[in-house]
Amino acid sequence: MILLAPLLIALLGALVVLGFRNHQVATRAALLITGLEIASLMVIIRQVHERGVLQVGRYLRVDGLSSFFLINIAFISGLVLVYASGYMRHPGEGRFTSPRWFYALVFLFLFTMISVCLSANLGLMWIMMEGTTLASALLVGFYNTKGAVEAGWKYLMVCTVGIAFALFGTIVLYLAAVKAGMNPDTALDWAALMEALPRMGFDSHLVKLAFVFVIVGYGTKIGFVPMHSWLPDAHAEAPTPVSALLSAVLLNCAMYAVMRYDAIVSHAVGAAFPHTLLLIFGVMSMVVAGLLILVQRNLKRLMAYSSIEHMGIVAIGLGLGGPLGLFGALLHIFNHSVGKSLLFFSAGNIRENFGTLRMDRVTGMARTLPQTSVALVVGSLAIVGLPPFSLFVSEFAILSEAFSQRRYTVAVLFLAVLSVVFGGFTYYLLRMLCGDDPKSAPANGRLLPSEYSVMGIAGICLLFFGVRIPHIFTVIIQDAMAVLR
Amino acid sequence: MGLVAFATGKILSSFSVFLFLTILLLVVSRRFSTSVMLFSVQSAIIAAEAFATGFRERLAAAYVVAALIVLIKVIAIPCAFFGLANHLKTSSDMKASTTPTQSVFIAAAMIYLSYAAVQSYGLSVHVPDDALAAPVALILTGAFLMVSRNKALMQMLGLLVLENGIFLAALTTTFGMPLIIEIGVFFDILIGLLLMGIFAFRIRDTFDHLDVSKLRRLRG
Repeated sequence: MILLAPLLIALLGALVVLGFRNHQVATRAALLITGLEIASLMVIIRQVHERGVLQVGRYLRVDGLSSFFLINIAFISGLVLVYASGYMRHPGEGRFTSPRWFYALVFLFLFTMISVCLSANLGLMWIMMEGTTLASALLVGFYNTKGAVEAGWKYLMVCTVGIAFALFGTIVLYLAAVKAGMNPDTALDWAALMEALPRMGFDSHLVKLAFVFVIVGYGTKIGFVPMHSWLPDAHAEAPTPVSALLSAVLLNCAMYAVMRYDAIVSHAVGAAFPHTLLLIFGVMSMVVAGLLILVQRNLKRLMAYSSIEHMGIVAIGLGLGGPLGLFGALLHIFNHSVGKSLLFFSAGNIRENFGTLRMDRVTGMARTLPQTSVALVVGSLAIVGLPPFSLFVSEFAILSEAFSQRRYTVAVLFLAVLSVVFGGFTYYLLRMLCGDDPKSAPANGRLLPSEYSVMGIAGICLLFFGVRIPHIFTVIIQDAMAVLR
Repeated sequence: MGLVAFATGKILSSFSVFLFLTILLLVVSRRFSTSVMLFSVQSAIIAAEAFATGFRERLAAAYVVAALIVLIKVIAIPCAFFGLANHLKTSSDMKASTTPTQSVFIAAAMIYLSYAAVQSYGLSVHVPDDALAAPVALILTGAFLMVSRNKALMQMLGLLVLENGIFLAALTTTFGMPLIIEIGVFFDILIGLLLMGIFAFRIRDTFDHLDVSKLRRLRG
């Protein structure tokens, strides 16, 4: 029954927070609920680690792979909510723009993302994935400015259409399973599918068709090029804590769905077909996003394109397969989440102090905002993949897999994009850090305790994982890899 | 048994012909209210098909689904659309970026394309080609409506047509997904429409129009 706990806590939490009109009470309640949420997720992860698989009823199930993504959700949502408790201190008083609405929507958003990872059924997973779009659309449009409304509308339309294709893919896979003689009631349970696949002959045309639709559909939510158009807008216009959640948790949840299908399809028709598709989307996303990073003017859009690039890297790791490729992909998911959250947190502080995110108007940051500058530099160095930070380790793993499989085109493109991105980040970073003192001096450069504590944790985590991956974490990733084999 | 299968095939084919008719009318209709009525008719045809499937396969779940379609898609959503159009005080012109003549040709091409696309699958799932082509054509039309109409409300309608196609695909090939999943999908659509309604109001309030093609601030 423990599997129900995080879902209930998030749902009830959303309702409870709505009841508090006072900002401070609502914030404290939200932090308390987050604490409970993380505790319940930790209990689940621990039990999965001990027993292997947890199942409640027919619709909820957790194994090694889902528990890896639950760790990611627990860690990032904890950081984000603590950061938000300081960031949301000057709220608007519109209909949906008070902090209680913010926290309620965030808990709903968390509810849907956790349900994606907990669902045992591909249909339920689709429902919850669509739920993530619905729960976060109002968060993207939270500020109700022209830009936010446009971004929210685009997000809602593009993702709903994209996800509709994933539903079509789900139906086609269901058709293949029913035709192969599976019981219609269990034909969408991934555990049953994985178990039945080796025994039953699935129509390979249908399974391939299903995967094409699924990767396009869920790929829209991951932000694969060319379905990425919603992503920079949504990331740039959403409140900063929400941008961090979108980039560091939501994209990963969609990636989780693709990984499930990848495992199923690999069992049915061999790994070559799904892996080739993943490689194509991965390389395309990496190259296009890497080039677009060079022409950005808004800091958060820059980070959004970097998210697309990193999702491309993860897809390349999955597409290469092999022990190192998979290990690198999973590790990269976690590292990217931590690094990107740190970057978004610093972007939030810049916005608070300079009142803008346009990079040409932010100058002389190193003098006026020293603490934020340190965070920005650490985050940027980590995100471009320099040692000793953790993203170097995961990118190196993926790259060595590419070389050991003699896929030189992929490896060369990979390295080329990384150096282009490095150049772009360095250029913008130096321009923002140095330069003349800003005309409008920031009001107050000091960080709140809630802000520097989470930024510190994220920074230390990046450094620590770069030097040495804790044993327990390696074991958890290996559990996750065992599910995919 | 052969006779029943033959008759079922014929009935499915004629359902599909009616659906093609709604597609062609949808792409040429000039008024929003006509389009909504056409969507309602289209959903009624699909509900009838779900009902027939329930009868033929003795599936109680299909009856429930048919009833849900009638309630939600034939009655509730069109009513909500009319209410929304009234509240938003939008003009009935839908700002199509293609002329009706072009639209008919495009729709005809899409119907042809959907026949071509399903040809290799028809035999393997024992369903006549028409019945497989109809959902694909609906999906294509929905997508076409979304890209060619600039009014926010019309894009929502396009999305619903697309969703009708996906639903129909599930119905004709597998007699529908498990009931609980179907209900979840319906729920998602309802919430999605509600949110799009909220955003339509916000677009009107912040931009003073509902022409989505003019939302072009965010680029690059």
